Amino acid sequence: MKKLSGVLIGCGAIAREHLTALAELDNVEVSGVCDISSARAEAMAERFQVPKFYTNHRDLLDELKPDLVHITTPPASHLPIAMDCLERGLNVFCEKPMTVQYADFCLLKDKAIAKGTMLMENQQNRFHSSVRRILQLIETGELGDVLDVQICLSLNITGPNSAYTDMNAPHFGMTLPGGVIGDFLPHIAYLAYMFTGKALAVNAVWTKHTKCTPLPADEFRGLIKGERTTAFVSFSGNAQPDGFLIRVIGTRMRVEANLYEPPKVVSKRLRKGEPALMTVVDGIAEARQVLTGSIGGFVRKLAGQSSYDGMKDMLAATYRSIELKQPQPISLQELDEIAQLADQLSATAKP
Amino acid sequence: MKVLVSGAGGFLGQSVVNSLVERGHQVRAMVRPAARAPDWPEQVEVFRADLRVHKDLAPAFDGVDAVIHLAAAVTGNEDAQFASTVVATERFLEAMAKSTVKRLVHVSSLVVYDWSRAKSCMDEETPIECAPYTMGGYTIAKIWQERIVERFAQRNSWDITIARPGFIWGDGHEEIAAMGRKFGRLYLMFGPFTRLPLSHVTNCADCLVSALESPTASGQTFNIVDSDDVRVWQYVREYARRTRQPGLLVPLPYHVGLGLAQLAAFTSRKLFGEKGKLPSLLTPRRFESQFKPLRFSNSKIRTKLGWRPRFSFDECLAASYKHQVT
Repeated sequence: MKKLSGVLIGCGAIAREHLTALAELDNVEVSGVCDISSARAEAMAERFQVPKFYTNHRDLLDELKPDLVHITTPPASHLPIAMDCLERGLNVFCEKPMTVQYADFCLLKDKAIAKGTMLMENQQNRFHSSVRRILQLIETGELGDVLDVQICLSLNITGPNSAYTDMNAPHFGMTLPGGVIGDFLPHIAYLAYMFTGKALAVNAVWTKHTKCTPLPADEFRGLIKGERTTAFVSFSGNAQPDGFLIRVIGTRMRVEANLYEPPKVVSKRLRKGEPALMTVVDGIAEARQVLTGSIGGFVRKLAGQSSYDGMKDMLAATYRSIELKQPQPISLQELDEIAQLADQLSATAKP
Repeated sequence: MKVLVSGAGGFLGQSVVNSLVERGHQVRAMVRPAARAPDWPEQVEVFRADLRVHKDLAPAFDGVDAVIHLAAAVTGNEDAQFASTVVATERFLEAMAKSTVKRLVHVSSLVVYDWSRAKSCMDEETPIECAPYTMGGYTIAKIWQERIVERFAQRNSWDITIARPGFIWGDGHEEIAAMGRKFGRLYLMFGPFTRLPLSHVTNCADCLVSALESPTASGQTFNIVDSDDVRVWQYVREYARRTRQPGLLVPLPYHVGLGLAQLAAFTSRKLFGEKGKLPSLLTPRRFESQFKPLRFSNSKIRTKLGWRPRFSFDECLAASYKHQVT
């Protein structure tokens, strides 16, 4: 059977994760990569045995006419590149944030609808093994009604030699609303959206803990009231160690996971019985989950699995929908509502 | 001669600028915009630019006769090193290609060699690493940087010299990878009797300027290592003594370390196939590239350039640890 063809525009760090995941998909072959740096494009092609590399993305699109274009460049260039793809009737899988401004997303959405093409944003954590486990607990009713979601991302962006605070080559995140934190808001937004549904109200506070950096803010706390439930979301550029915590609180269970340490999911459920005894039972159950999750995570690392849990499954789902001519895995309507939420969150950063 | 030095604010760059000034050259030193310029003599012209992002590098080459290209990253993840070393070099050489400058001394590294295939002595005939992506980010970047330099040189008929120094050390940079690894208070030396390809920063800078000046260096590749036969234990002992680092020095035969790495690699392959990942210390080829017992020849540079290291190991030790209480 003929394989689907994919191409990548942008050969930085995230492109390597895409190519690593694509190498595991049997129905996909990468026919070309592109970067404005010829060396970077050639090196990426050589490393992943991609037959062609380009320095001009329009040449690549016109010559290869791929089934899907992965856009893995810095966010400011997403709009023109994605527009070039959509104009040619090519499907797009774009790194987050798809656009710097919500209005630009609308332009792309309209174009995708007009051309009948796919327009996807990389939201790999929706396919993360720990997130899927949490969703399963909700779907089976074990967790009960979802009362609140907490999504807390801690990343040392202010430490020495951080690329985010490099005064010589400013990080691309500095061009985003909210500065570098704006680069992480899409992850926070789509994860929150999965539980809250469409956001009805948003409040947030932005502060700066480390003064001697060019960042406008390095701490962020937000509260989202959604159609279904509420979410507390946060980003810390100073809290250590790094972690991407998600905690879902239900009427029967609390469950939490660190998305940086799959497949560790820890839950605490409502138990009937003697409270003192149940505390011990809970402790043992929790210890077992931590131990099995930690060993599982260690083995995953030794096995060379990508730290981007969910990327492969998300790409597989995207290509499958192209192959079977099915609707895209995340609808444009959902992408729109998530983009609006990210926009609302970043808008709170404005003075 | 008016010489443009890229990466002039770095450890080696500062010494190269001093060496050029000492030998009567005019210097334009390229320093990153946010970096503090070292205390150079007034006649050193500082050009502020970051090669990764600076929009117009062409003015850096105005009135220049020759270039010593040192800019490279020694820290950061693989992609950051590639950007700072390879993409930066690409942008730098694109600007150079638009100028009239034809003479370039490029500073590479011994890491570009295939240490697994190196016989008893590493010299300029040792094969180049042919599987760079199995190695670390620094190796990948330095191999690609050389490729780019050679392509540009060929395309533009430049007169180039490629210099491949060993472990560059000196005041403030006394720790080198080949010393071994520290685990708490334990200092593990892999192959205590292994010779070190040392190049003291002052000697290295002197050698680069000699290569720039010498017509016989044109079109040549040289390894730069000092002449003293310094072993791991000797270097580590001096380091521990002079920096008063507490801890226990534990020698481990090289072949024991390599055997452990091979065993780990075998187990990983059996369990996880080719995708398995191990720390660099347990990856045999990476282990070899840091600790393989070899001799390191500098006979080519001695013969072709007549160069001799200015300072002996003992003199370098005294200069490098002058701020330490001994």
